[in-house]
Amino acid sequence: MGYIIQVIVDALSLGSLYALAALGIGLLFGVLRLINFAHGDFITLGAYALIVPAYGPDAIRFIADFHPVALIICTILVVVAIALLSELLVFRPLRYASAATLMVGSFALSFVIQNLIIMIYSGRPKSLNLWSDLTAIKFDVGGVDIALLPLLIIGVTMVLMVLLVLFLKHTPWGVQMRAAAEDFKMARMLGVRANFVISLAFVLSGALAAVVSLLFEAQLGILMFRMGTPLMVFAFIATVIGGMGSLVGSVVGGMSVGIVSSILQAGLPSEIRGYRDVFVFGLVILVLLLRPQGIVLSRATRERV
Amino acid sequence: MTALLKIDGITVHYSRLAAVRNVSVEVGEGEIVCIVGPNGAGKSTTLLTISGILSPTEGTVTFGSKNITGANPENVARMGISQVPEGRHVFTVLNVEENLRIGTLMRRDRSEIEKDFKMVLDMFPVLAERRRQPAGKLSGGEQQMLVIGRALLTRPKLMTIDEPSLGLAPKIVDRVYEVLTDLRNRMGLTLLIVEQSSERALKAADRIYVLRSGQIQLSGNAKDLRDGEKVKQAYFGFSDAAKHVGEVAF
Ligand SMILES: Nc1ncnc2c1ncn2[C@@H]1O[C@H](COP(=O)(O)OP(=O)(O)OP(=O)(O)O)[C@@H](O)[C@H]1O
Ligand SMILES: [Mg+2]
Repeated sequence: MGYIIQVIVDALSLGSLYALAALGIGLLFGVLRLINFAHGDFITLGAYALIVPAYGPDAIRFIADFHPVALIICTILVVVAIALLSELLVFRPLRYASAATLMVGSFALSFVIQNLIIMIYSGRPKSLNLWSDLTAIKFDVGGVDIALLPLLIIGVTMVLMVLLVLFLKHTPWGVQMRAAAEDFKMARMLGVRANFVISLAFVLSGALAAVVSLLFEAQLGILMFRMGTPLMVFAFIATVIGGMGSLVGSVVGGMSVGIVSSILQAGLPSEIRGYRDVFVFGLVILVLLLRPQGIVLSRATRERV
Repeated sequence: MTALLKIDGITVHYSRLAAVRNVSVEVGEGEIVCIVGPNGAGKSTTLLTISGILSPTEGTVTFGSKNITGANPENVARMGISQVPEGRHVFTVLNVEENLRIGTLMRRDRSEIEKDFKMVLDMFPVLAERRRQPAGKLSGGEQQMLVIGRALLTRPKLMTIDEPSLGLAPKIVDRVYEVLTDLRNRMGLTLLIVEQSSERALKAADRIYVLRSGQIQLSGNAKDLRDGEKVKQAYFGFSDAAKHVGEVAF
């Protein structure tokens, strides 16, 4: 019984991280038809922002030692600034290019960010504990100790999803974003500023990435220059099987991928557990064969700016 | 009459192909001007160039005293030009009221907004009844009313409409034109309307332009052209008038 609860909590918390990352990708895709492969590197940068930029072998704590509230705000500000800078330097000049060109642009950006991290922080992994209480505090559930962190990850994700929905449905800016995502030209002809809406999408996407950075780093306890990449890959898969352009799809997709991975992790015999991702990707292919548009159909048209 | 909008010799290309060549159109303040012409004449292209969706390779567009050639669509809208483009561009993910609210996002005059809101809902009572319904669930005619209402809520100085009658029952078309004429008469709204039917254009407009094959063939006061003969010739061209005349209701 306890073991099953453990698996469920792990599945939901992994699914939550994927869902948050997928939402960041889905938001940009919705507005800009951009598949941002640099999203994983935004996540990585959020974690590296916690330490002093230095080449040495050890992590010198910087933002990591701030009061949690200040820590969260500072990390979000750093990642949002990076997201906005990326928009300005990379994606704005490409705005009228094809979706494929935009995607290649995001690959290039991802490459640049990773190499900048290697130059500034070195490519060696650095150990960095963040909020170690979260993993230390445990609850006894049915004879199994469940740590606070996965529960926090699930809770934070649910709160952020509710906030995002409220923002998109009930604020003028959110309504403008939804209108622009459906028919950008018409929205502009009614005075919706393209630069504003796109920047707003990058701000939200960056803020979500920053939250993922912190939760992921608290779980991992180590900094690596490509730590965000697997999250990006799974989140991308999540948006594809969930249905590109649908935020509900991103969440459903993220949760599904996380849950399937965790169940395979728990259920596969130990000799083949190392090949877990093969089974995950196999299932993805199966889903796409059965439902090429994704699980959740998007009503938004495919046309861009 | 001072020209509110002046299109001066624009040429617009889609990649290599020129869809519109050396087109000049003027719209005076408070005027209703119609551009008529057959399919593919370049009517929509002309309107989209005014809105800044397309940029001309030659020529200029002036609004009031400002040169708006190649300006951003949002800036053109903010200067007071509201376009109802071809096809019904309602936001299907939003409900009827949210669609209308988007029309007011550029405005800060709260009390006036509410007044205009009431005016639009009175003008199109269906929209009031369906306020909370997704806009995608409206019928074609209702969607057309919604986009016209939404454009009006921007309180434009100039409204451009691309084929308001497309796919609508004649009775609804009458209603739409009645509303538009009324807005001009009561509020001095200036209108530039693209129409396929020259009959309808001659009835509604003060002046009309006939556009065919990307060029202006004829322009003049609707009064002077009322018998329709000259317009018909310009519309079809001399050579193929006989071939097509039966297909379009004149
Ligand atoms: N997006 C586009 N790409 C390439 N060519 C286009 C495009 N849009 C229009 N054209 C071409 O430009 C010309 C003018 O088209 P336009 O849409 O302005 O005509 P129209 O007068 O509005 O016709 P209709 O009455 O059928 O709406 C046509 O020959 C058309 O094929
Ligand atoms: Mg047209």
